[in-house]
Amino acid sequence: MTQRSSRDSSEPSSAQGDLADIEFTDADILEAMREIPGYLDISTMDFRAIYRLAHRHALDRLFSGITAGRLMRREVNPLTPEISLAEAIPSFVHQGLKSLPVVDGQQQVLGILTETDVLRWLGAETFLGLLARVITDEPWIKSDPYHRAVGEFMTSPVVSVPLDAGLRELLAAFASHPGRAMPVLAADGRLAGLLQRKVFLAAYHPDRRS
Amino acid sequence: MRLHGDRLSDYLSKMRGSVYGSPPRVSLPEVLWSWAGAFLGIAAVAWLNQWFFVGTDLTLAIGSLGASAVLVFGAVRSPLAQPRNLIGGHVLSALVGVTCWQWLGGEPWLAQAVAVATAIALMHLTRTLHPPGGATALIAVIGSDQVHAMGYLFVLLPATLGPLVLLVVALLFNNLPAARRYPEFWL
Repeated sequence: MTQRSSRDSSEPSSAQGDLADIEFTDADILEAMREIPGYLDISTMDFRAIYRLAHRHALDRLFSGITAGRLMRREVNPLTPEISLAEAIPSFVHQGLKSLPVVDGQQQVLGILTETDVLRWLGAETFLGLLARVITDEPWIKSDPYHRAVGEFMTSPVVSVPLDAGLRELLAAFASHPGRAMPVLAADGRLAGLLQRKVFLAAYHPDRRS
Repeated sequence: MRLHGDRLSDYLSKMRGSVYGSPPRVSLPEVLWSWAGAFLGIAAVAWLNQWFFVGTDLTLAIGSLGASAVLVFGAVRSPLAQPRNLIGGHVLSALVGVTCWQWLGGEPWLAQAVAVATAIALMHLTRTLHPPGGATALIAVIGSDQVHAMGYLFVLLPATLGPLVLLVVALLFNNLPAARRYPEFWL
């Protein structure tokens, strides 16, 4: 029911590739060497090779401590597929979340129910679209789906990540779908927590790291 | 044999060098500092040699110290010029050279080749790579009769004391100019 994000970390994501590939011209390097008094017995190729590798090591070091497991929110009460939307919606409100994982009795993730899923069921693509219809007071909101089961509306399969997923894997996973949160799975496939995109972005912002 | 042809052209193209050229020329003050440092360093070695060792069976001045002066005063920042390399490279290479002369002296070409090659390998392994060490190893084999007669004393006298004198001068001199410092590391 869940699909793991691809773990192809040998292929750096384009965003990080750009970071690592600040290209120096030989004129840049030679000018820098000229500014340092004394003879430097390295070639411009040496410098380029060292810079490239050191930059990669620095990125890995900066971000090595951060994994999905450390960023995720553990206190998440997931939904189950058989409960009704009427029961599910207060759960969103209480937890202050816009998406909630849906699990079976063994805590295996079946899908995710998002605000967008609910809106779509109401016939609106966005909250503003819904608002416009409510304001014009069209008598179109039907109450019967309100008592239908979560399993009918959830997004499934859902992209999830393992506890130890790092920068590259998380970037690739978030880029692969429009969702604002992803379930984080323990090694046995059970739900471990929920990783929110905003938390991920904040953690990897270089200027906000000590 | 297409693959073979590609490999050959790769191999030959390496000989053209990269397009990037050599490091820039240092400034004129830098040239003068290098000159003055090397002058003082070699003067110290030659002066000590002249006053204490000329006329004895011993010598302090060996050609490879000139090469060390290039590094210690002309490429101060280079890892090759640091104290660990300066002293370690000469001492290890002299040991190898004297040993090769004593064991393989009957076959001079072999003794010379083994001495230099082994000195390089040993310097690599001990992180003491110092190019003049290769010269020291070669001198121990080619020698003069005086060098040969010194035996393992060659390790102590020119090959340890000579670089030590250069080291002292380099410490005192290379830290005078604002733009220089020595060493980058000791061990």
